[in-house]
Amino acid sequence: MKAKVLIVDDSSVSRRLVQGYLEAAGHEVTEAYDSMPALDQFTLEKPDMVQLDLVMSGMGGLEVLQKLRETDSQARVIVTTADIQNSTRNMATQAGSRAFLNKPIRREELSTAVNSSLEGLNQ
Amino acid sequence: MIALSENQAGALSELINIAFGLTAANLSEISGHRIRLDPPTISSHPIDGLADRLAAFKEGELVFVRQGFNGPFSGDAILCVNSQGAVRLSSILIEEHRQSQQLDSSAAEILTEIGNMLLSACLGVFGNLLQLHVSISVPELHQGQLGQFLESLKIADGDLRHAVVIDSSFKISNSGVVGRIAIILSVSSLERLILAVDKWEGNTVYAK
Repeated sequence: MKAKVLIVDDSSVSRRLVQGYLEAAGHEVTEAYDSMPALDQFTLEKPDMVQLDLVMSGMGGLEVLQKLRETDSQARVIVTTADIQNSTRNMATQAGSRAFLNKPIRREELSTAVNSSLEGLNQ
Repeated sequence: MIALSENQAGALSELINIAFGLTAANLSEISGHRIRLDPPTISSHPIDGLADRLAAFKEGELVFVRQGFNGPFSGDAILCVNSQGAVRLSSILIEEHRQSQQLDSSAAEILTEIGNMLLSACLGVFGNLLQLHVSISVPELHQGQLGQFLESLKIADGDLRHAVVIDSSFKISNSGVVGRIAIILSVSSLERLILAVDKWEGNTVYAK
């Protein structure tokens, strides 16, 4: 399954890393460096999936996740963060994330999470 | 300094060893090199005496990644590397040789993200083991002398008159990169941390 993925992360290093992994897997990637552009791009570009960082300046990732799900209750969102706390994972899951990955991101984990999150797309 | 019982000191040391150990493991994974981590130490200082404690390098420009945290206890987690080490560390991550010995914007961003991964993991261990939620702020990179950096901590937190420092030095093998990880808490935050550690230690003993 090839998909259109929006990467939302304030770190260009992380965006570049994830972009490399996803493009190598054949996905089409767009990027947002912050929460507001991310919400705009989500509405305009209608990506199949969003990869979302949690710790960002301004609106944090959890709030972005809630807004994405308000815009589209079926939004497919994978959370990636350096925050390893179980409580953070629970909050992200409750807010509707389909997967929760800790940085540093491993290619295999990302691939598994993406494939799992895209299950059922176009059915 | 707050007097800790033997059990409290043991439990706090164990918690810190786990947190700093995970941090070193992450750094090893990121860099691809073995990390030598000195045993973490806990000490209490007047805020004006912090410079002596944190002076991993007595002279020269340093690079700091600072990540504030809030919750049941609050403070700052800090990754400190000398300037040359910071450039090397960023080069290791992107596997490219840098001509410049200066930390350009690209290298600074890489180092900030490395700091984010290391410090968040360290703080996350506290949250997970103590079953508390710690809110972690966006990482900030500072360059300059240690004194200037500590000034920024004082300005940011006017109440911080006395600080407890949990810190350890590390060295990345075969790279020449040396640095220091520190967590700075106010005394009142340490008291709250000790209460949480007491509870954790009680649960851990009970579980055994």
